[in-house]
Amino acid sequence: MRVHDFVMPVGPQSPAIKEPILLKVCLEGEEVQKVRMVTGYTHRGIEYLLEGKNPDQALYVASRVCGICSITHERAYVRTVENILGYDAPERVKAIRTVLFELERMQSHLLWAGFMMHEIGLETLFNYFWREREKVLDCFEKITGGRVHHNINKIRTLRYDMEEEDPEFILQQVRSVARKTRDYYNDCMKEEVVVSRLKNVGTIPKSMALEWGLTGPIARASGVRIDTRKIDPYDWYSRIDFEMAAGKRGDALERLKVRLTEVMESARIVERVLSGLPDEKIPPHSLSRVEGEGHARVEAPRGELFYYLRFKNNRVERAKIRTPSFSYMKILEELLPGMVVGDVPVIVASLDPCFSCLERVLVEKNGRVEELREKEFRRKYSCPG
Amino acid sequence: MTFKKSPWVFVFHGAGCNGCNLEVLAVATPRYDVERLGIVIKHSPRNADILVVEGMVNKKNADRIRTVYDQMASPKVVVAVGACAVSGGPFAESYNHAGPLDRIIPVDVYVPGCPPRPEAVIDGILKGVEVLERASKG
Repeated sequence: MRVHDFVMPVGPQSPAIKEPILLKVCLEGEEVQKVRMVTGYTHRGIEYLLEGKNPDQALYVASRVCGICSITHERAYVRTVENILGYDAPERVKAIRTVLFELERMQSHLLWAGFMMHEIGLETLFNYFWREREKVLDCFEKITGGRVHHNINKIRTLRYDMEEEDPEFILQQVRSVARKTRDYYNDCMKEEVVVSRLKNVGTIPKSMALEWGLTGPIARASGVRIDTRKIDPYDWYSRIDFEMAAGKRGDALERLKVRLTEVMESARIVERVLSGLPDEKIPPHSLSRVEGEGHARVEAPRGELFYYLRFKNNRVERAKIRTPSFSYMKILEELLPGMVVGDVPVIVASLDPCFSCLERVLVEKNGRVEELREKEFRRKYSCPG
Repeated sequence: MTFKKSPWVFVFHGAGCNGCNLEVLAVATPRYDVERLGIVIKHSPRNADILVVEGMVNKKNADRIRTVYDQMASPKVVVAVGACAVSGGPFAESYNHAGPLDRIIPVDVYVPGCPPRPEAVIDGILKGVEVLERASKG
């Protein structure tokens, strides 16, 4: 056996990667030669589950695509349906949706920053970031009653309105989170351990980011100025002036910078929206009747989230969900070769993959599950490509 | 032999939405801090006394759950966290659902919820400790 025939499995249940995915890493000494990704451990058949449900039922399934960005999936679903209906929500609904959306981004990035620190062995910072995240979850609990799944968006409206004392509480929490995040950000950039473990690790140059169609903080860290909130504004994003965080080098350290900057920027957006919150009644909820097809995109914490829905007889006939993680998972097979094996978990974590969002296609044959790459799938099932 | 002060926990991530995953991990963070109860989240099933399973059982990870369960030393306790592990939850009608969990391995404690709060997860683990105590006394 030659040395580089040694294949080290990372996952599917591994301390290094929190979610179930299997990376078969071929090693030559310490150096990674080749990586093969095996998915399918979190496939649940969401698109199939959406089919046959009426528009109001399907909303709950859509929010269960991902527990980290539950609001984002609800919002994308609702935006798609409202696009089909040609409906424009009242200003107060839009404002509250914007607040929820930015709170979601804050908690997602803080969670990620915690994991990142955990991967490089800084357990204290992991705990600090997660302590801040709890404050954002308190805001969620105040508005929606839930910490992870909220189910607050409804077609045309919201399930609950904000209480009178809520904005003050949210402002207080969000300001405190932003202040602490700035402190941790400064600490991270000064800390030798963080910088040496993250600098020049998993670098994605701008050309590569464009070629792979990356979106979200990863693309912005590589210098691609793309943000769905800017190019296709919804809710209050066209009314509010906000900075797009941007990096240049495209390595893991830059991604940390971009994400922590976005946490602080999101806090500012929340402050601005709450200061101009319109005082009006939100419309009551009623069942919707939807026909036809439509699509929409929103800026999830990880990048662009795309929904396509087709309704027939007031039932979902076909749903297609393209999550941001989908565009950057295959890039791992190109990023990892040449790196040392100790950096594998760092690079995987630095991309902030969400495998629950990611997994869509699974083919079962003779009781055996097989996963197919896009090309094989097209050939086998003769899909036009 | 007593487990009361030192149950070690292994968390199995099934095919979930990550929601329960986050709530289980949140119990180790400052606000809930389970280490005050002696509970430590371990990364190897061979060292663990309690197996926490969150997420749905699908056709691909059913074998993995069985393997992890077999790797644990007796006495051992299984805690099913979240609607997906308990019954399949919102994904029960999926073509890829191979559970619920108690069809794959014996389950001692059920923690329902979508997702359950961290307090509920801690309570579930502590109920698991009681089961362990009873099992070790025979």
